[in-house]
Amino acid sequence: MVENRSFHSRVRVTVIYGIVLLLGLSCLLPLLNIVAISFSGSAAVSANRVGVIPVDFTLTAYNKILSDGQFWRSFVISVIRVILALALNLAVTVPMAYAMTKSKKEFRARNIYMNLLIFAMLFNGGMIPTYILVRNLGLLNSIWSLVLPGALPIFNVIMLMNFFLGIPKSLEEAALMDGASPFQVLIKIMVPCAKPSIATVSLFSIVGSWNDFFSGLIYMQKVENYPIMTYIQSLNVDIQELLKSGASSSALENVTELSNRNLNAAKIVVAVIPLLLIYPILQKYLITGMVMGSVKE
Amino acid sequence: MKRSFLTKLTGMAVAVSFLAAATACSSQDASSNADSQGNAPTSSEIDNEAGTIKVSMGRQTLQNVTFPDGDTYEDNAYIRMAEKKLNIDITDEFEANGDDYDRQVSLALSAGDIPDMMKVGTLDEVQELYENDLIADLTGVYEEYASDYLKAVYDSYDGRAMDNVTFDGMMMALPGTNTDSGPSIVWIRSDWMEQLGVKLDEDQDGCITIEDVETVAKEFMEKNPENAENVVGVAFAPWLTNGDPDGTFSMNSIAYALGAFPKTWMEKDGKVTYGSTSEEMKQALAVASGWFQEGILDPQVGTRTWDDITALLANGQCGITFGTWHIPDWLLNNVYALNGNATFEAYALADANGKVNCKHNNATAGYIVVSKDFEHPETAIQIANLFYDELVNSKELLEEYPEVASYVANGVDGSSRPFNIEVNSYTSLLDDYADLERCLSGEITVEEVRTSEQRSNATSISAYLEGNGDATGWSKYHSRSKGVELIQSLTENDLFSWLTPVFPQTTPTMETNLANLEKLEEETFIKIVTGDIDVESGFEQFVADWNKQGGEQILNEIAEQLQ
Repeated sequence: MVENRSFHSRVRVTVIYGIVLLLGLSCLLPLLNIVAISFSGSAAVSANRVGVIPVDFTLTAYNKILSDGQFWRSFVISVIRVILALALNLAVTVPMAYAMTKSKKEFRARNIYMNLLIFAMLFNGGMIPTYILVRNLGLLNSIWSLVLPGALPIFNVIMLMNFFLGIPKSLEEAALMDGASPFQVLIKIMVPCAKPSIATVSLFSIVGSWNDFFSGLIYMQKVENYPIMTYIQSLNVDIQELLKSGASSSALENVTELSNRNLNAAKIVVAVIPLLLIYPILQKYLITGMVMGSVKE
Repeated sequence: MKRSFLTKLTGMAVAVSFLAAATACSSQDASSNADSQGNAPTSSEIDNEAGTIKVSMGRQTLQNVTFPDGDTYEDNAYIRMAEKKLNIDITDEFEANGDDYDRQVSLALSAGDIPDMMKVGTLDEVQELYENDLIADLTGVYEEYASDYLKAVYDSYDGRAMDNVTFDGMMMALPGTNTDSGPSIVWIRSDWMEQLGVKLDEDQDGCITIEDVETVAKEFMEKNPENAENVVGVAFAPWLTNGDPDGTFSMNSIAYALGAFPKTWMEKDGKVTYGSTSEEMKQALAVASGWFQEGILDPQVGTRTWDDITALLANGQCGITFGTWHIPDWLLNNVYALNGNATFEAYALADANGKVNCKHNNATAGYIVVSKDFEHPETAIQIANLFYDELVNSKELLEEYPEVASYVANGVDGSSRPFNIEVNSYTSLLDDYADLERCLSGEITVEEVRTSEQRSNATSISAYLEGNGDATGWSKYHSRSKGVELIQSLTENDLFSWLTPVFPQTTPTMETNLANLEKLEEETFIKIVTGDIDVESGFEQFVADWNKQGGEQILNEIAEQLQ
């Protein structure tokens, strides 16, 4: 009986591990394939001969990227954008979320603001009106057009608000009792307690603004102002579409030379490296919070 | 009580400050707008001191253009020459690649503020600009300023080019021209044919039949000259047919050989019809479906993507493909990269009468429009004269501007000129080829070849023929001495039978229903070819569905347009 049970549990563990392994691989393999393609010769790639191990190992694609001035210009624009967006998002989101945790008694207009937020979360002006607004504000071609329209991510406000609500009231009361002003409570009590949640919100902001290519497409009128994802997107040419639009043979030659699959793969690899670096840094905040053990009830 | 008053007060204060911020922004807007967009509102004012005309432009760019150091789209040898020659000052209001450019045009249109000159991709956009009264009538300035050569180039299209841009008798845009691209050529691995002793096209007129393709495909599959795994006879892309006659990886040439013109609007016996719903199209699908059953056609047709088909060819799994004359330059070169022995021969599929059916392309592609508010519309024509006449014909101009000469010699892409359109005479493809041919046969020297593109082609082809194995030489040899040569010999021997299709403007029903109709067409055709549904009844059902779901309506609307 005992042996049988352990046999059963062993089978169960094996099956579970097997399934998890398959799921893991299905996430990992496409990435490995991209990495392998980026290091392979272009002929092997176009013949579909590359799996997870590079064929005809070469660094040509990376050499080409390193010598592409626009790629690095766009890279820097994206880095600045992420930093600006993150600072602005946190500066706006955290105080707003804290204010929203107050009851209607303490903050009379709370519900009005809440309704405004929810309305704005569900409905927006649409692409063209937003574009015209940004244009009339004179923000076209400026980095602020990438940062300001998304300065207040409402979903993040609500998420952070709910987290603040989960922090025991007694912490705040204790601080007030000791003579802290509401602002001190926010900075010294709430923010440290909410580190995991703020880390999450930061991650959303970083990933969101790093990956966003569309606002760059409409607000930037010249390629030299494109952020990195917009630039990569614009390099990825659909040859079939190009053929349909009657491109000349020399234009097609130009494009196929550039848009070959290993060069594209190398660009993707270079562009995700910053995100891969940020995850481990933020991870420690994502796992533990400070609420644990702060109050005895 | 007091407290509630306070909160109200704060609320009001907040509201007021919002308002203040809003007005502050809008007042700022006026000034910053003028700064950042510089010449948009003031562009047509002449700087009196220098007499320089400021021109703001919307320009469609191309990725991967290699400029000499420091040069950009906004500031390069071509632009500098135009600025100096015509005493103008060009600034770019927006630049973007491909589709992204179209989006910028739409945005400018929706904001109602367009640059002085810009390129637009389609006639629908020209029409929309015309209807919104944003663009200038160029009829007068074209008559007065266009050079005789430029006019002759446009006239070589028998008025079809100018008709396209004429709205209510007014010329509303400067059109780019679009020459005929010829048929979808059958490219067959000639090194395999030699190896296997396959004889094709005994009379050497470049024409073969559908049966010939079938025979060769079977032979290739059976003998498998490169010992590849999973050999495929013929592969088509999932959409099967293409609106362009030369559609690459399409079954167009089979359809054309049977007299069907898929995805084509045409007039037949005074009635507007659609090529994909014709009886001939059914026969073409029957052929493809027969091939599928026999195993000649790729069993994975429908899921085999563009890149996958390229891979089939590169791996030597497949030795027959269909495509436009220039695919050796950018697609079949992958085959040569993996197999230095690979060579291709170009054939055209002829119909039962021995003629090659083909259709004309629309005469224009890409349009330059001039803003109504721009005070010097003649500048657009002068720019066109400079680049599409003088630069082509005058050697002195190149001597005067050596940096432009070096651009031409190094093949810096034409999109860096102020206008990214081509203005070539209707016969330019064959004229250029005739030049190249004369040079290759030793009649004239490389220096005497007219265009720089053909000069570099001549050099690389002769080097390839001498056996240097250069990839560019291989490509150019195949695209010119095989591909264009085929078009040339078919033209010379009068083996083409040309259809002039109807090129309607987008009708209301097209706008709403055409995407779905095209989807219906592609899905049904794949099902018919793979035997999912019967050819006879399936096609009949398709024609009925197509008409019911808006097709008939579209045909009526086109007929109205033509009257």
